[in-house]
Amino acid sequence: MLEKTLVDSIKAIHSLTEAQQLARGKFIEKGFPTSKWEEWKYASLKHLNEHNWHWSPESISVDFQKPIWNYSSIIQTLNGNTSSEGALPHGIALLTMSEFMVQNPEFNLIWKDRNPILDQNSLYDLNEALVADHAVLWVMKGVKIAEPFVHHYLVSGQQDTAVQSKLFVYLEEDSEITWFEQQRSESSHAILSNYVQEIWVSKNAHLTLIKDQDLQQSITHVDHTFIFQQESSLVDAFTFSINAAYLRNNLHFYIDGPQVVSNLYGLYIPGEDQLMDTHSVVDHRMPHSESNELYKGVLMGNATGVFNGKIFVRPDAQKTNAFQSCKNVLASDRATMNTKPQLEIWADDVKCSHGTTTGQLSDEALFYLRSRGISKATAQTLLLLAFVQQVIDKLDHVEIRAELSEKIVNKIQASLGLTLS
Amino acid sequence: MLSVKNLHARIGEKEILNGINLEVHAGEVHAIMGPNGSGKSTLASVLAGRSDYEVSEGSVEFFGKDLLDLSPEARAAEGLFLAFQYPVEIPGVSTTNFMKSAINEIRAYRGQDPMDAVQFLKMFKERMAYVNIDQSLLSRALNEGFSGGEKKRNEIFQMAVLEPKLAILDETDSGLDIDALRIVAEGVNKLKTPQNATILVTHYQRLLDYIIPDFVHVLYKGKIVKSGNKDLALELEERGYDWIISALD
Repeated sequence: MLEKTLVDSIKAIHSLTEAQQLARGKFIEKGFPTSKWEEWKYASLKHLNEHNWHWSPESISVDFQKPIWNYSSIIQTLNGNTSSEGALPHGIALLTMSEFMVQNPEFNLIWKDRNPILDQNSLYDLNEALVADHAVLWVMKGVKIAEPFVHHYLVSGQQDTAVQSKLFVYLEEDSEITWFEQQRSESSHAILSNYVQEIWVSKNAHLTLIKDQDLQQSITHVDHTFIFQQESSLVDAFTFSINAAYLRNNLHFYIDGPQVVSNLYGLYIPGEDQLMDTHSVVDHRMPHSESNELYKGVLMGNATGVFNGKIFVRPDAQKTNAFQSCKNVLASDRATMNTKPQLEIWADDVKCSHGTTTGQLSDEALFYLRSRGISKATAQTLLLLAFVQQVIDKLDHVEIRAELSEKIVNKIQASLGLTLS
Repeated sequence: MLSVKNLHARIGEKEILNGINLEVHAGEVHAIMGPNGSGKSTLASVLAGRSDYEVSEGSVEFFGKDLLDLSPEARAAEGLFLAFQYPVEIPGVSTTNFMKSAINEIRAYRGQDPMDAVQFLKMFKERMAYVNIDQSLLSRALNEGFSGGEKKRNEIFQMAVLEPKLAILDETDSGLDIDALRIVAEGVNKLKTPQNATILVTHYQRLLDYIIPDFVHVLYKGKIVKSGNKDLALELEERGYDWIISALD
């Protein structure tokens, strides 16, 4: 249940479309997820009831530091408003969803039919209620761009603010891009950062998606990324969860055609007073496709980690290969990790495997390193970095890999410094 | 340099070392022998600072410092080195990186500037020759998938890099064929100087054909029950341990 003051404040928002009003009604009825909801068991958002949320974020403008390596364009989403910095390459357009639908009328029905799994996802309703017409990045047929698009996602507020952002990325047939998203915040106030990103990957298209999540301790960030893949498309999705008090990733893959490859790579490294929760869904709806999940977690201080990995293999999805691996290290006695692989398989001719482990660094390995003169903190850091390297190494882009590596090293070192006696 | 007095150590309730006395001076090679379960490896582990053991009595001084009061890394920085009986496999960390971290942390402990990449490379090349170890092995993950011989050679390589004042070799001969044994022993001999000392923990005499000890001690039930020169090792090889044990029991 939503607190009455919040119900009143959200009801006071005017000029919503009919669809928005419907979504608002759903959200008010459900409220914020609590630990009683199975999908939010370890990641309750009940604490959000204690804030008097400001529902309309202020407009902001920021001068970002530009990458020193070659990039294609910078797109920014600042408190929910998306724009591009400078001109976009030929064959790429940034427009609104209503404009996009006017230009692609045949897509309307397909889109309405996409059918994502929205059980217990009241924050998707909230996003839908408060976002009127959102941005679309349209990558046209056959357009292939080697340099990454840099997406600056930023939330900010001078008071407790609930920021809704939504973006649709549409890759037409035979197109190819790399999307490097830097999620950041600039606020000492509580922010609910509620972000929906839906991505349509058409036949033969190829997307590399890299999310670098590094937000402040005052931020509750919920990321819903739903990817719809058509025949013979390839997606490599990376999620690096580095900082935020509360970070939830709902990463969904809907495999709607044959010969699809979906790769999910994730690394979460929560420290003191941080919670990071990954709920992945890979929904094999069509035959002859392949999905691979590789997740690793390092939990430090009193951190909480959650991994729930759902794989569905529908009756039509024969000859599916689906693999899932989730490995975690508890680098502190006070940290906890909750893992739950969940496979539901209705087809009979499939190969599926999954494995989750949660353990501590080996005492024997630590002693070996220390016996050579390496301090306990350095030994722990070396072993943890070796552990996470496998995920980082999957990144092809040299500069992005170096940038993220450095960030990860710094976070782990800082967190261990805090927790060492 | 090392003075062990009445050392008692236990693991849980079980007393393993029962009053060890041992004096090691610069330039000496000591061999510690004894039947299985006599406490040889425990002694090596306690000296290096493995936390599984609790020291219940006695003292250990290393160049006048209370060794038992130091962390394992501080012991290494003071000049102690343990070659492991079972070197640990560490995926994702190369020997090269591992040794760079070790050298620079030890240098920091001693108030020295870190070594730069060029100096490292030069020193590495030089030390690799001591144990005839290949560069490709050092770039691989530490000990991962190494053969028994490669692991032991890697231990002696690390010893060559760190140049300890006191090296303790825990059953370094176990699992080695005769060629590997010779290479390892030659490495140890090349590293010997009048300023450093070596403790060889071994079950068999054969290592002592290659590294000649100045003193041989027999450990039994956690105590040194007999000491002698290299001839004692030969006698043990011939007669076994029973004649010493039966004289005691």
